[in-house]
Amino acid sequence: MTKTNRKTILQKAVHQWKTNPLFSTGMVLILMIILQTIALGFDFDSFGAWFSYWSRNWINILRNNSMVGIVALGMAFVIISGGIDLAVGSTLVAVGAALMFFINGYPDGLLTSAGITGVPAFAIGIVVCLVMGALLGGVSGTLIARQKLPAFIATLGMMKICRSVTQQMMQTNAVKVPTEFLAIANTKIGGQVILPIIYWAVIAVVLHIISQKTPFGRQVYAIGSNERTARLSGINVEKVKTLVYVLSGLLVSVSSIIQVARIGSMDYANAGSGYEMDAIAAVVVGGVSMSGGKGSIVGTVLGMLIIAVMNNLLNLMGVPPFLREAFKGFIVIVAVLLQKKESNS
Amino acid sequence: MNLKMKGIVKSFGANDVLKTVDFHLGEGEICALLGENGAGKSTLMNILGGVLQPDKGTIELDGRTVSFANPAQSLGAGIAFIHQELNLINDLPVYENMFIGRELKKKSGFLDHASMYLETKELFDRMGLEIDPGAMVSSLDASFKQIVEISRALMMNASIIIMDEPTTSLTDPEIERVFDMLRMLRKQKVGVVFISHKLREVMEICDRYTVLRDGVVVADGWVKDTSIPEIARDMVGHEVNSMGNQRKGNTGKEVLRLESLTQEPYFRNVSLNVHAGEVLGVTGLLGDGRSELFRTVFGAEGKYSGKIYLEEKPVVITSTKQALQLGIGYLPRNRKENGIIKDMNILENGSIVTLPRMTRFGLIRKADQTAEFHRQKDALRIKMENDADSITSLSGGNQQKVVLAKWLSANPKLLILDNPTQGVDVGAKEEIYQIIHQLADQGVAVVVLCSEAQEIIRLCDRALVMYHGTVCAEVSGESMNEHEMMRLATGG
Repeated sequence: MTKTNRKTILQKAVHQWKTNPLFSTGMVLILMIILQTIALGFDFDSFGAWFSYWSRNWINILRNNSMVGIVALGMAFVIISGGIDLAVGSTLVAVGAALMFFINGYPDGLLTSAGITGVPAFAIGIVVCLVMGALLGGVSGTLIARQKLPAFIATLGMMKICRSVTQQMMQTNAVKVPTEFLAIANTKIGGQVILPIIYWAVIAVVLHIISQKTPFGRQVYAIGSNERTARLSGINVEKVKTLVYVLSGLLVSVSSIIQVARIGSMDYANAGSGYEMDAIAAVVVGGVSMSGGKGSIVGTVLGMLIIAVMNNLLNLMGVPPFLREAFKGFIVIVAVLLQKKESNS
Repeated sequence: MNLKMKGIVKSFGANDVLKTVDFHLGEGEICALLGENGAGKSTLMNILGGVLQPDKGTIELDGRTVSFANPAQSLGAGIAFIHQELNLINDLPVYENMFIGRELKKKSGFLDHASMYLETKELFDRMGLEIDPGAMVSSLDASFKQIVEISRALMMNASIIIMDEPTTSLTDPEIERVFDMLRMLRKQKVGVVFISHKLREVMEICDRYTVLRDGVVVADGWVKDTSIPEIARDMVGHEVNSMGNQRKGNTGKEVLRLESLTQEPYFRNVSLNVHAGEVLGVTGLLGDGRSELFRTVFGAEGKYSGKIYLEEKPVVITSTKQALQLGIGYLPRNRKENGIIKDMNILENGSIVTLPRMTRFGLIRKADQTAEFHRQKDALRIKMENDADSITSLSGGNQQKVVLAKWLSANPKLLILDNPTQGVDVGAKEEIYQIIHQLADQGVAVVVLCSEAQEIIRLCDRALVMYHGTVCAEVSGESMNEHEMMRLATGG
């Protein structure tokens, strides 16, 4: 009796694994967490001490990955729509530069002269940063949706332009970031620096709802799956596609603000570099199809966590840092191989 | 080669698709394999083609029992499967396509273009085909592409050729060209399985026929001993009305008027009008510009010159979204490419057009969405199980109804239907005809684009015939008959 039951549960699990990408991604994550738990030296006798070590480790993982995690959420929308955004990493420094430029309220007294009081001076910096992120995304989106450039090419161009121009312009700009600004990311909650994690989580929830419950979200899926049908269903394909890149740019801005608030500075040569590939990796591991139309925000978060936990695991096991990227590459390839199998069966 | 398939059984899970089916094909015989969508035709042919393996049953070639584990083995035994989506590479010349996967090479290892060209030419000459082996496949029309595929099968010594709805996207002269090829195959003792929904073509070209219904052979015999109504009855299981349009429509005010609409090179100087409660047919041969014309009216084709009036008011239509807001609906041709979104479920496919109207605080109200879709589902009698099932799990006719449902939800004043019964089986066709008439009775102006004269006669109150981008005549009543329309459409 128990035997047959066990069998059906196993069969159900296999079926889920094959048909539900979220299930397989989640299972991989659970497996990784179990391995990680073992690697952290789980010990029942001193459970309390172990647990506090374990949770500190987890807060570190989540916080360190929250910035790329937010960028990956925008990337998920872009890839579901059938595109790609290579410009996220350099957009991050471009909008970061804009933020730094205005972070001390330049020009002085703008806010007070406009009659706005009770807002810190760096609010201008934040607004400019967000607007600029949206604009840069809008430029990529317009090139792709209206000028019909391949997304790869348009965002590759934007990637080169953004970082290069930013580095040239910000050569001599040494800005002191006000301490109130640092509080955006570093205010302790329950004795822990978890604000970046909370931002990530809130944004993920909002984007999940947008992707599943709004016409815009569903239209993104429709366009990614079949652009012709979408257009012939009365969807303004150009507008939706442009908005997807605007959204990606906005999220990059948010990520940039958190990063500046975390570190208190911005390294224009290196900040955000590799974000595009890390974000794409998370999205793909999370079950989003590179050809568009398939995948989810939840999957993207899981994908990000899988990569993050794996990194942590490699660290705990003492794998040399140079080799860790290889594991990342490995898991991306394996994830897509598994998905291919699913869609074939 | 004599083919006998005996007692073939195949099921997918609990779904018995084939229940002990016998099928045979003699040497040099053209046998029609008929049946509604979902009757099991594709499954049977996929078994013959080595794509699927039967649960039970045997396949015999000239009395020898064979089994195919994959398509390559089937091809090796001389059976070629020519799918609806042709398997040619557009950007390569014909002769290279003829040798795809088994290219001739010189000793040096480089391609031997000269020999491939010559062998192709010899084959074409032998069959009396006037195709330049060096022409790019992309420059050939659909019929010649098919002929190239058939020739390739012959080059690989195929003695049985399976053709899945070969004429769906062909114009009449092209169909005739493919039929000439089939007649030639018959002379060369090549057997052909001809899967089709077009019974008139079956009567014209086939020797024998086999009808499947729900996985069982319900009829087979010689084509000369039967008739279209009889076959249609076998396919559906009941009588099919294939008479003319007997509705007495009350036409209301003008809904659409076009004045000298032009978009080079597709159509020029098109003027027409459609009234509420009217079914207007627009027919012609493929390439006559009617699809482009009405896609332009729907805002999907870009700039045009001339004037469009909707309910007497001049409008400039630049996007599909605007067309939708103006009350225009458009059911496109080629459902797979233009009609359905395969990654979305039935409910979403049926409501993608009207989603923005079903929101509160920006969020989609699932209850409204479901209620509206179910209203359409019941009205259109869509056969389906769960809203969340994949759209591709439905038969062609039901998929088409879902596409129709998404437009009916938008309550269009003007509904343009481009080839509305493409790939739809006989029974569902009749249902779609009735739905179209009901819509017109409710005061919708309906435009039906179709190249099948039968369908125009069955559906429309009057019809325009297009030829090379211009409207060359209007027919109605007595003059709306197959001969007259064909004469006009061919430029006569």
